[in-house]
Amino acid sequence: MNGIHDLGGMHGFGPVVQEENEPVFHEDWERHAFAVLNLTMAAGQYTVDELRHSIERMPPAQYLETLYYEHWLHAAEDLLDKKKVVTREELERRIAEMAPKEKK
Amino acid sequence: MPALPKDMVRTAIQAGASARAPVTTPPRFRAGETVRARNINPVGHTRLPRYVRGKRGVVQVNHGGFAFADTRAHELGDQPQHLYSVRFEARELWGNDASLRDAVYIDLWESYIEPAV
Repeated sequence: MNGIHDLGGMHGFGPVVQEENEPVFHEDWERHAFAVLNLTMAAGQYTVDELRHSIERMPPAQYLETLYYEHWLHAAEDLLDKKKVVTREELERRIAEMAPKEKK
Repeated sequence: MPALPKDMVRTAIQAGASARAPVTTPPRFRAGETVRARNINPVGHTRLPRYVRGKRGVVQVNHGGFAFADTRAHELGDQPQHLYSVRFEARELWGNDASLRDAVYIDLWESYIEPAV
């Protein structure tokens, strides 16, 4: 699809910022997103190509404003719902359960 | 849902899964041949970047058979094809302001390219 992901040749994004001694993960939740995606993929729930296409279908503005692992998380939520492994309703219910326990 | 055994996690993450798959048809292109990337605009998944569509390049090498991402993304199976590394001169892609010394190598499935005429 001619989506926002296909950025080759576009201008205006500024320099590529290189971090010295860049950590594999910047936040702890990124480790979990990495694990969820890889383990559900290894379990045969979807292919890497379905994952990529899920990310391509993110709303363009959201795609540009979110982090790399947020793209992964989006794909996990989207595909696991589509495959009826964790439905959107189950996810929302769990978020509602956990939200009050989250420390600010 | 089948689980990935714990002792296989490290190997699986480090090596990744190969998309290499046997292909039964003979290759349509050979190294050194000039080809043109097709101008296709599918609404589904494709690995053919927009900036290369309609451009001419030269086949460098045939990597062999690989599962086709465009079908795998839509639960349509592997449908393997020959995958070629194709070199596109920067000037072909970006015009005469581009450096003569720059080029882009893109891995392209056979159905992405056609003979250049």
